[in-house]
Amino acid sequence: MEIDIEKKCKSRLETTFMGVKLQNPVMTGSGCFAFGLEYMDYFNPNKLGAIITKGLTLEMRKGNNGIRIAETPAGILNSVGLENPGIDYFEKHILPEMNKYLNIPIVGNINGKFIEEYVELTKRLDKIEKIKILELNISCPNVKDGGMAFGANPEIARKVTGEVRKVTKKPLMVKLSPNVTNIVEIAKIAESEGADGISMINTLLGMSIDVKTRKAVLGNIYGGLSGPAVKPIALRMIHQVSQTVSIPILGMGGISNTEDAIEFFLAGASAISLGTAFFPNPMVALEVIEGLEEYCKNEKLNNISEIIGYAHSDNGIDYRKKLKLRK
Amino acid sequence: MYKSGINNGNYKCSGKKTGFLEDVTVSENKYLGADNYLMKVFSENVKKQVTNPKAGQFYMLKLRNHIRILRRPISLHSVNFKTGELEFLYKVIGKGTEELSILQKGSILNIQGPLGKGFDIYKKSENIIVIGGGIGLAPLKQLIKELLKYKENKNIIFIAGGRNKEAMNILENFLLDSKRVSTFICTDDGSLGEKLNIAEMLEKILKNNKNPDIIYSCGPDKALKAVNDIVNRKNILSQISMEERMACGVGACVGCSVETVSGMRKVCHDGPVFYSSIFYENRGEINGN
Ligand SMILES: Cc1cc2nc3c(=O)[nH]c(=O)nc-3n(C[C@H](O)[C@H](O)[C@H](O)COP(=O)(O)OP(=O)(O)OC[C@H]3O[C@@H](n4cnc5c(N)ncnc54)[C@H](O)[C@@H]3O)c2cc1C
Ligand SMILES: Cc1cc2nc3c(=O)[nH]c(=O)nc-3n(C[C@H](O)[C@H](O)[C@H](O)COP(=O)(O)O)c2cc1C
Ligand code: FES
Repeated sequence: MEIDIEKKCKSRLETTFMGVKLQNPVMTGSGCFAFGLEYMDYFNPNKLGAIITKGLTLEMRKGNNGIRIAETPAGILNSVGLENPGIDYFEKHILPEMNKYLNIPIVGNINGKFIEEYVELTKRLDKIEKIKILELNISCPNVKDGGMAFGANPEIARKVTGEVRKVTKKPLMVKLSPNVTNIVEIAKIAESEGADGISMINTLLGMSIDVKTRKAVLGNIYGGLSGPAVKPIALRMIHQVSQTVSIPILGMGGISNTEDAIEFFLAGASAISLGTAFFPNPMVALEVIEGLEEYCKNEKLNNISEIIGYAHSDNGIDYRKKLKLRK
Repeated sequence: MYKSGINNGNYKCSGKKTGFLEDVTVSENKYLGADNYLMKVFSENVKKQVTNPKAGQFYMLKLRNHIRILRRPISLHSVNFKTGELEFLYKVIGKGTEELSILQKGSILNIQGPLGKGFDIYKKSENIIVIGGGIGLAPLKQLIKELLKYKENKNIIFIAGGRNKEAMNILENFLLDSKRVSTFICTDDGSLGEKLNIAEMLEKILKNNKNPDIIYSCGPDKALKAVNDIVNRKNILSQISMEERMACGVGACVGCSVETVSGMRKVCHDGPVFYSSIFYENRGEINGN
């Protein structure tokens, strides 16, 4: 998919991500914003660039038992385990609500236990007009089958990306797990299998222990770490991956304010998404969007895309050329 | 069996604003003994009647220390619509509530809410039982106030339990001078009231009285479970207020989901108050842990 930023941008944040035009490059992290309507008391979600849905599966999933959220220094652990109502319920009850209230692109987050399930779900989502981008989650640390195991195994990652690619023409981004030794390898595989973009990072596998009960806090023992605590890792990985692939990256992991977001663009992300940051600050997305606009103005940028990959040794010039971005 | 009245439509969005973010001013933050505190804050939104918090609803209180990134869910203890004052009754159990406890008169605190669904108020009842254990007493002051608003509610039996006499200092603030409220106090060590737990107290009261129209309860998991067993056995209508670890408080993260006989429910959004009947088929797993 070709990336081409329109010459005359109305807003300095207007962007084209994986061929989809967005009013700004700020999205919501899967699983932290449900289906886009829960934060409506605080701001109008239509101000966002796009909304990424909670991870969807073919069948309804109950998720994991026991405590699912644990706070850790500058982060949280979650072991939700992909609780979601399944694609049928989504289409019947949630999609109509989204259609009613949301007029921005929706990204469908896809999960399966087997490759066949990923493929089947992709076919279903492919038919939904409202969904403009698909995000293939092969990185959830909280499910036993599929999930992270898929993203950590290069051969399975290759297979699932390739198979899903065959059944959809919608822009496809693959969400990478940071729980691997060589994230660049997996990113390259996704690109070679026809992914139009990479989204990274998912949560890092972690643990918390209650000293009183002497047991793990989470019912599922281990959980996924997110929030400010993971930001340096996310930045490093995006910096690495963006220098080796020529498809755009949706960056996430611990972004909680405008400065954090800018760091992600500088590291090589073409768009960013906010997750955990909504919990302490429901207004965070608006603040970041306004902050980015102001940053562009102050730094005399015509468009935020001008700084993508600037932290690379060549000031990101090669990367932007590869992405066919301006400057 | 009583129906919960909740359908599967937990994704329905009314488009009506219910929760607010607000900087409120602390007007009092008093130590009550046994790690319990009473905090009063002034809310412009309440004063202007922009929001109408109800018994059983809660607020997410923002901490200053950014290392602790989650807000802390605390129930509405009482609201005064005339003065715009909100009261929170809380127990210091960890670093977050400790941080709340050192706030002084004049401190600014960011609160998010009111959140969740509160208690259903019954308006014409012969007998109502309200049960609270420990810090689970917190939402019951407002509940009793709301029940008393209806003159047709004839008799409210209030069962209050705690560890010891000191822990029961929280009752000082309950203003239960109404003739329609009969209070029964019990403590684990018998230092105040009877030496019973709240479920045993309930059992005892039910022996001498006919079944109430409704029982409301809030307290530790174990106590709720025991109360639930009783109401289930006797087929009494009952609402319980539950606690779960929360991240978002608005239904966005599914961190607080619990399994019920009619599917998964989010404590923050579909609760924290539920009809006990929605747990009957999987009793023993009220809190999922
Ligand atoms: C809907 C609701 C209403 C509540 N109302 C009150 C109230 O009115 N008064 C009161 O004293 N307490 C109330 N609680 C419990 C209160 O939220 C916790 O005691 C408090 O969050 C503990 O925070 P901490 O930092 O002191 O403890 P820590 O153990 O240091 O907290 C670590 C993490 O665990 C979470 N956590 C710990 N215990 C609980 C718990 N019991 N419930 C939910 N999350 C917990 C914290 O929020 C935090 O994310 C309520 C809980 C819920 C869910
Ligand atoms: C409660 C919670 C649920 C999540 N659920 C999903 C999910 O269903 N699918 C997915 O791809 N990522 C999921 N994630 C990961 C986030 O989308 C994101 O990748 C991660 O949290 C890092 O970003 P953050 O630090 O900004 O939250 C979840 C994260 C959290 C905190
Ligand atoms: S706390 Fe997030 S859904 Fe309840």
